Amino acid sequence: MDTLLSAQERDFARQMRQFYRTEIPESLRFKVATGQELSKDDMVTSQRILNRHGCAVPHWPEEWGGQDWTAVQRHIWLEEMQLACVPQPLPFNTSMVGPVIAAFGSQSLKERFLPDTANLDIWWSQGFSEPNAGSDLASLKTSAVRDGETYIVNGQKTWTTLGQYGDWIFTLVRTDPSVKKQAGISFLLIDMKSSGVTVRPIQLIDGGHEVNEVFFDNVVVPVGNRVGEENKGWTYAKFLLGNERTGIARIGMSKVNLARAKAYAAVTKTARGTLLDDPLFSARLTKLEAELTALEMTQLRILSTQAAGADAPDPRSSVLKLKGSQLQEDISELLVDVLGPQGLDFVADRVQAEGFSDLPLGAVDALPAYFNTRKVTIYGGSSEVQRGIISKALLGL
Amino acid sequence: MDLELSDIQQELGSSLAKYLRSEYDQSVREAILGSEEGISREQWKSFAEMGLLGLAVPESYGGAGMTFAEVAVVMEAFGRALVLEPYLATAVLGANAVVAAGTEEQKQAILPGVCEGSVFLAFAGYEAGQRYSLDSPATTATTATASQGLATDGTTASAGDASVTLHGEKCSVLGGDVADQFIVTAVEDGELGLFLVDASARGVSRIAHRQADGLGTASVLFEDAPAQRLDSAPAAEVVAEVLDTANAAIMAEAVGAMETSLKMTADYLRTREQFGAPIGTNQALQHRAADMYASLEDARSMALFARLAVTAESEGAEKDRHRDVVAAKIVVDGTARHISQESIQMHGGIGMTMEYPIGHYAKRLTVISRTFDDADSLTAELAQLGGLIEPHAADLN
Repeated sequence: MDTLLSAQERDFARQMRQFYRTEIPESLRFKVATGQELSKDDMVTSQRILNRHGCAVPHWPEEWGGQDWTAVQRHIWLEEMQLACVPQPLPFNTSMVGPVIAAFGSQSLKERFLPDTANLDIWWSQGFSEPNAGSDLASLKTSAVRDGETYIVNGQKTWTTLGQYGDWIFTLVRTDPSVKKQAGISFLLIDMKSSGVTVRPIQLIDGGHEVNEVFFDNVVVPVGNRVGEENKGWTYAKFLLGNERTGIARIGMSKVNLARAKAYAAVTKTARGTLLDDPLFSARLTKLEAELTALEMTQLRILSTQAAGADAPDPRSSVLKLKGSQLQEDISELLVDVLGPQGLDFVADRVQAEGFSDLPLGAVDALPAYFNTRKVTIYGGSSEVQRGIISKALLGL
Repeated sequence: MDLELSDIQQELGSSLAKYLRSEYDQSVREAILGSEEGISREQWKSFAEMGLLGLAVPESYGGAGMTFAEVAVVMEAFGRALVLEPYLATAVLGANAVVAAGTEEQKQAILPGVCEGSVFLAFAGYEAGQRYSLDSPATTATTATASQGLATDGTTASAGDASVTLHGEKCSVLGGDVADQFIVTAVEDGELGLFLVDASARGVSRIAHRQADGLGTASVLFEDAPAQRLDSAPAAEVVAEVLDTANAAIMAEAVGAMETSLKMTADYLRTREQFGAPIGTNQALQHRAADMYASLEDARSMALFARLAVTAESEGAEKDRHRDVVAAKIVVDGTARHISQESIQMHGGIGMTMEYPIGHYAKRLTVISRTFDDADSLTAELAQLGGLIEPHAADLN
């Protein structure tokens, strides 16, 4: 797709490519490229390097570390980052709470939080979903009752990704139970070291510990930790979720994973040659390549419309989420299927004991990734929510 | 990066759309479809007057000297109106073959007539039992010199002139029912060649057919029919390029037809009432309509991808041109199938009738996804070409 870019854009892509490959340690990028789990330190290291070079939060306002980049440049920044297998900046910091504080927070909140958020000196967790507020997020029940200059928070959040590392959590809380559900919500920042905050791990079917439940039991939060106005939290949440949807197609990552499936298949023998020559496997893979290309073109078309001056969030980004997440899942399945029977065990290491042969490449991460990737059609607005948006906003149904 | 249509292209598209809305509506089309020839020579004259027939033909031969991008705009508009006249056969396949392979004299003899609407062309490549293969026709070309006393057409040959005759049978010749000139593939001395044959010459006979979509085709028999060589470029390359361009053209047409199909379907879902409410209030239908929209975006993206591939002028673009067109057609075929089948289903019984237009769109889309190749063999071909993504795994390389 490089040929679609202007000369300056191509130069910019070259710079980004070189920057990622020279400044981000090879060992970190190798971990991402081979699907290994990243430690907290890995993610912090990567984000601080990015931040030092102005590449952690380019979409933020310039005075808080952002860059005066075009939509196309921001696309290149992210795409090249994924292609280089660079651990991405923590989305809770850079795509979610940061932009909300920058847009709606008080000057003191900005000064207090934005630099540390960009540099991952503060690790943010997301406190939106609740056991009974998933796709219907606005029905959340966690309450914040005003008591002088503080709120007393009670309730439970769930699906808090990497909450075990969290320093702070940004939450949606109910500050007015008497009005329409969207109208009584506020956006509150809570120190996770506060008394009454408990984080409990949730075991997932992929065998890992990625998400948590977070309980709030009479947690005292200063009113000054509220972002924006009281009961306007839903507006800020919609702003945040809109940011979440762009880039959620993860096309660069999918390319890397497809290339991986292809490379493994080429060295995997079957009764009739290599797996890459197998007609049905190759047909599946080839169709995914074509579909991924279609999705990439859709993303570029949306970018091109933005570049031509359209500012409003594009409802077509729901198509990106819908299709992009499905492709991620399909590709994760391909990576399992390459392995055959050896893809069915949960294993910690490819290297077995002395005298035993190594497990095939990809054997450690394919199965956990397959089960983990089931989440992508659920989070960030499930596929069903996206279809609802498309049928309403684009088809008028 | 700029993927938007230019002002001229937008103007072309909107003025053509305006014309088709008023002069080529459903009742006009029905009358044309029911006529003996199945096309309107009057409409053809109007297209010529609008300059549509020679859009991509160089100005020195009476054309407008524009590019395929403008042709794609026309095809998309024709797709919305389901235009029946042989634009694809004459202005795309035929004219491109003559432009690419004709001598100066041949171009002067043929192209001005095409541009002014007095000549229909047809590309005769396919043969019985060979599906979409164009590489090795059974049709043969034989050269004899007049001095050897062999038959010529008796008017043009003089002593020492070489005369060529064709022998063989072609099938599924798009626009072959009305063509004045055929561009024919044939083998001579083991080499693929392209030849120009006058439809009224001796030794040429044809049987006209109608495709499911109403477009005319023909089986054509050449029995020692006199022909001229079209050999100012290697035939195999010309055929490949002409077919790639024609494929890109029907993808643009398919986008127009799919867009209209989805619009009609969404309108129907909003207005058709059952059980006391519009059927579009059912989530089952909303979500399926949303999937149709996602398919339409895929199709738009890949029609654009194909258009860019055949208009690219960068070096080494040729190898990628065919690969990209193949990838695009795989996606467009799948989306055409999806949208055409779903649009009939969602219309219910009325979608099965000749009276209601949705079925006509489905018919054209059904034919397009089987024109110049189908998704299965294209998928096999793309795999054979190595696909779109280079195999790469960090732990392998």
